[in-house]
Order: sequence, then C-alpha cells, then structure tokens
Amino acid sequence: MDSSTITLLLNLVYHVLVLSLVALGLGMVFGMLGVMNMAQGEFLTLGAYAMVVAQRMQIAAGWGILMAILVTATLGYLIERWLVRPLQTRPLDTLLATWGLSLLVRKGIEAVFGRQYQNITQQIGGSTQIFSVDYPSYRLALMLAIVCGLLMLCLWYKHSTAGTRLKASVANPVLAQAIGIDVKRQACMAFVCGVACTGLAGALLAPLVRVEPLMGMDYLLGSFFVLVVGGLGSLSGLFAGAGIIGSTQVLVSTMLDQTYGYLAVLTLSIGFLWLRPHGLLSNR
Amino acid sequence: MKRRSFIQNSLALGSLVGADLLLPHLAFAASPVKVGLMIPMSGPAGLFGPSSKNCGELAVAEINARGGLAGRPIELIISDAGVPPAEASQGALKLWKGQQVEAFVGMHDSAVRGALVGVFKGQVPYIYTSTYEGGECSPGTQVLAETPTQQLEPVIPWLSKERKLKNWYLIGNDYNWPRDTNAKAKQYIASAGGKVVGEEYLPFTTDNFDANLAKIKASGADAVLITLVGGASVGFNRAFASFGLADKVTRLGTLIEENTLGGIGMQNAANLYSSSGYFASIDTPAAIDFAKRYGAKFGAQAPALNALAQSVYDGFLLLEAMAKKSGSMDPKKMETAAEGIRFSSPRGDTTMHQRHGKKDIYLAKAEGNGFKVVKVFKQVDAGKNCKA
Repeated sequence: MDSSTITLLLNLVYHVLVLSLVALGLGMVFGMLGVMNMAQGEFLTLGAYAMVVAQRMQIAAGWGILMAILVTATLGYLIERWLVRPLQTRPLDTLLATWGLSLLVRKGIEAVFGRQYQNITQQIGGSTQIFSVDYPSYRLALMLAIVCGLLMLCLWYKHSTAGTRLKASVANPVLAQAIGIDVKRQACMAFVCGVACTGLAGALLAPLVRVEPLMGMDYLLGSFFVLVVGGLGSLSGLFAGAGIIGSTQVLVSTMLDQTYGYLAVLTLSIGFLWLRPHGLLSNR
Repeated sequence: MKRRSFIQNSLALGSLVGADLLLPHLAFAASPVKVGLMIPMSGPAGLFGPSSKNCGELAVAEINARGGLAGRPIELIISDAGVPPAEASQGALKLWKGQQVEAFVGMHDSAVRGALVGVFKGQVPYIYTSTYEGGECSPGTQVLAETPTQQLEPVIPWLSKERKLKNWYLIGNDYNWPRDTNAKAKQYIASAGGKVVGEEYLPFTTDNFDANLAKIKASGADAVLITLVGGASVGFNRAFASFGLADKVTRLGTLIEENTLGGIGMQNAANLYSSSGYFASIDTPAAIDFAKRYGAKFGAQAPALNALAQSVYDGFLLLEAMAKKSGSMDPKKMETAAEGIRFSSPRGDTTMHQRHGKKDIYLAKAEGNGFKVVKVFKQVDAGKNCKA
C-alpha cells in the first residue's frame, strides 16, 4: 500500500470514531429515552468552551476535560429535572423547549465569550510515524482514547447490573418499575450521561475544530444522520451508522469532491428514512 | 456595586447620554442629514457587526466635529444587512422612504448589494465597502471594496518571486466570490510563470478537510490560494498545519483577517500570508492614530479592529468628500463629484476612478502575535469593472 492509501484509511478510521463519539450522547438521549434534545449540540459547544476557560486560567488540559464533564453533567441534571421530565408525555413541546434552550445557551456563550473564534492549543502537537506515514499525533491519541472508551462502555453496558437495569427501563418501563427499578432515576442518569458524553466530545475535539458559539449545530445534524441510518437504542446500531455515514463521506469526498460527499450522506439518510425508517439495527 | 452608587452612576450616565444627544443640535443650526449604515448585525457575518458599528460611530462623531455633510450634522441609523437580501432591502427601504435617509454606506455580502442597487436605482448615494469579486458599475453606487485585481495582481508575482513559488492550488467556498477571484488569479499565476495544479470549491458545511489536504499533498503544490471564508478557513488552516504542510507549502488568503487568524492560532500559521487594504497592525502614523482614537472612544475591551469594520470608516470619509466637493446631498451632483476625488484615511490615500477606489494594498505575514506587513503596494488600481 502506498502512503496516500494508508493516510486515507487512517482518515477513515478517525472520521468514523469521531462520529461515533459525537453521536453517542444523542444516541443515549434520543435513542434510548426518546427525548429529541435540540440542545444536544450546545453541550458539545459547552465542552469546547470549558477548554477555552482552562486555557485562559492556564491550567492543564486535563482539568478542562474534567470541567467539561462536570459542567455539562450538572446542567444536564437540572434540565432533566425541570425541563425534560415535566414535558415527558409531550414530545413536540420537548422539541420546542430544548430548541429554546439551545438558543439560550448559544446567546449565553456569546455574551460571555463574544462571537469570535477561539483558538485552543493542542497539548500533543506534531506528527507521529505510523505504518510509514506521518499522521497528526493528537489525532492518533484521540483515536486510541475513543476506542478504549467505547470498549469499556460496551463491556459495562453488556455485563454490569446497572447496564441491565438501564436496558430494562428502556425496553419496558412499566415492567421494570414493577420489579423495583427506579425508572425515573434511570432516565435521569441516562440523560446526564448522554449530555456529559457530548460535553466530553466537545472538549476532546476543541483543539482540532473551529470553536465559536454556533459550532454545535453541525454536530447535531451529523449525529442525527448516524442514528437515522444505524437505528435507535443500541450501541451496535450507533457504530453501524457511524461506519456507514463516515466512510461514505470520506470515500466520496476523496474520489469526487466534498459537495458530492455531502450529497451522498444526505441521499443515504433520506433513503433510509424512506425505505427503512427504523435504521439498520434498531431496538425500539 | 452598592445599590445607591449604581443609581447615581446610572443617573450620571443618563445625563451624559442626554448631553451627547443634545450637543449636535446646539452646534448646528441646520437640520441633520440621516445616513443609513447597512452592516451585518446577525447571521454568520454578525461577528463583524459590533466593530463595524463602532467604526461608523467614530466616523460620524469626527465628521460632525468637522462640520458634518455640506454643513449639516450626520444622524446615523443602522439597519441589519446580515439577513437574506429581500429582508435587508426592506430594511433599507424603510430607512430611505420612511425615515428620509439621504445616503447609505454598506458593508455586507454581494447578494445584499445586488438587492440594494435594485431598490435604490441610483436615486440615493450608496457606498459599498466590503471586499468583493468586482464588476459593480451601477449608477449611484461607489465602491471602496478591494477587488481580486487589487488583492492579487501585484501580490502573486511578488510572492512567487520572493518564495520561489511555481505550483498553485486554489481552494475556496462554493460561491461567486471565490470563483471570480480564482478566475483572475489564474491569469496572474500564468503571467508570473507559475501553473495551477488544482482547483476546488467546498460547500459551507464542510468541517473535515482530510480529502482536500490529501489532494494538495498529491498535487505537489508549493502554494495554496485560500478563498474559504470564516469558520471553513479556520478549520482548513488548522488541519493544514496539523498534517505538517505549513512548513513546506506557502498559504495566501484574501479574506484572512485578524479574527480568522485568531481562530487559526499562531501555532498553525507558519508561512501564512494575507492580502488586504487594511490590517490593525499597519504602522503608518495615520493608522496608529486611528487605532488610538478607536481605543479612546470605545475602551480597551472594544471589539478588535479589522479590515471589514475599518472599511465602514472609509465609506463615511468618501461620503464627506463627495458632499464637500458637490456642496450638496443631491444624488446626481454627488455622483458627478465622486470621479477623481482623493481622500486620506488610515489605509493611506484613495483616489476614486470609475466608481472604484485606487488604493494601497498591504501584504502581511502571520508572525509573532498577529499580522506583520511585509510589503506595501502603492496605489493599486481596481481593474476594469465597468463594461462600457
């Protein structure tokens, strides 16, 4: 294999992994709880701005990541308790309320940090030689971290009691309640984990992407495509969706151009919505 | 802040504002002339709203202190141009017909300019100031914006020689400004003895540039001309550097201003050049004094100066010169007066010819904390913009 093919493959793996990470939060919130959280993208923005704050305070990036998780988890808890739960039986109102919330968060960030782009320095700079090509070190580290994180999550979800309880509450809330599972607490936990996951994604991606108050919107759309194709409610569906969307985009963009890459993703998503509305692997 | 002192401060502030509003009326006997300023206050370009507004206010305050337009003080009215063209022209129409605005200064995209020109039909003076693709020659319209000819004709040969560039890769967002800019760029590259090894246009939604970077690498380009805008430019340039291309390949942009550079980050900006009519770091006495006055009026925390915002200030200077030369606010008389006007601004001297400004162009390199001007091209012509 020549070096450009290896770079292409690395790019492909990177893109699919990042897409999985970004879609994971929405997968928990929308896929499992059925809460269409329009403000999900803003949690990613909040995570990225936690890194901005950490950089301004001149503390280590690790603290920034911790801050991102804490801030988004706390905010997620408050929102679940006072916004999502009261509107539980009114999905359309949830959509509107979380959309309003997304505007509020965006404007709040704008008021505090201004509209300008923020620059976050990579803690791991330069490039590393891998399979005889030079690849950005930060990307490699990020890929490794995502793989480890997702593996741990899969194991926990499959084998732990907490994971089983969560699955039970999602699959049949009434029965789960009847055998003594606190369904409300499970839902709250899933929501908080979902938004904190997105916050974490924002913090990790911040050194690589443009950081500004409106950045979250692109990611909400991308995650939505992943869930449409992969199907709701299962981790395997999420990975399948991220794999298909990510590789379509990368391959078509490389062979033709970016416009066709985007067109292919849109066509694929519309096709799935039309012919296979539940996606490839759905649990719901 | 204690409650009492808050109230006192508010009262003091209120009386200051009151005095500010009253003073012009005391100083001028004549009724004020209303001037509409069309700038993006919302939308993707809304980022430049606050700094543009400040530059407009600074210009108006200074012109009023000098005697206003043809003896009448300016009253500034701002309308949002960061909205779709139809909406922006509605806003302008309200100012013109509803509030009797007598002249417009606009810093916005070309789609809005097209709509405004259609509404005004030469019956009200209109000065367009933001960087654009060239070719505007409608009656009543004066253009201070830099054209691709100005930003590239002298720059490409100079930079090619300086950095020994042969193979150019052109990359931009997919709309008319990048495409028209690159059409010109190809001529200048060819006449400088270089060749174009790739040309690509990306949708605005692109946030992953891996495919493009691979193509640039494979093309053997030693120079990239960037006409990506805003967030796309930030994302592209960051990825460009992380793939280690920055040391080997020279980058030139025609819309990379201070704010975009801030997003790219200096660590990702090795061998990055930008061509523009203004940088906040120009160190001529006029530019330094301008920055000082801006700082004095709006404070140290004010939104930073940049080429787009500063162009609004120049727009008002041209309006002042047109009113002075024609001695009135009559659109026809001002139009005739515009040709040949020469005025000085923080950018240097500008001479109006065929509705466009002939002016100095600065080439800056990203260095230290920001842009450092490496070459000034004196009095660059805007090229042929009128068909007749």
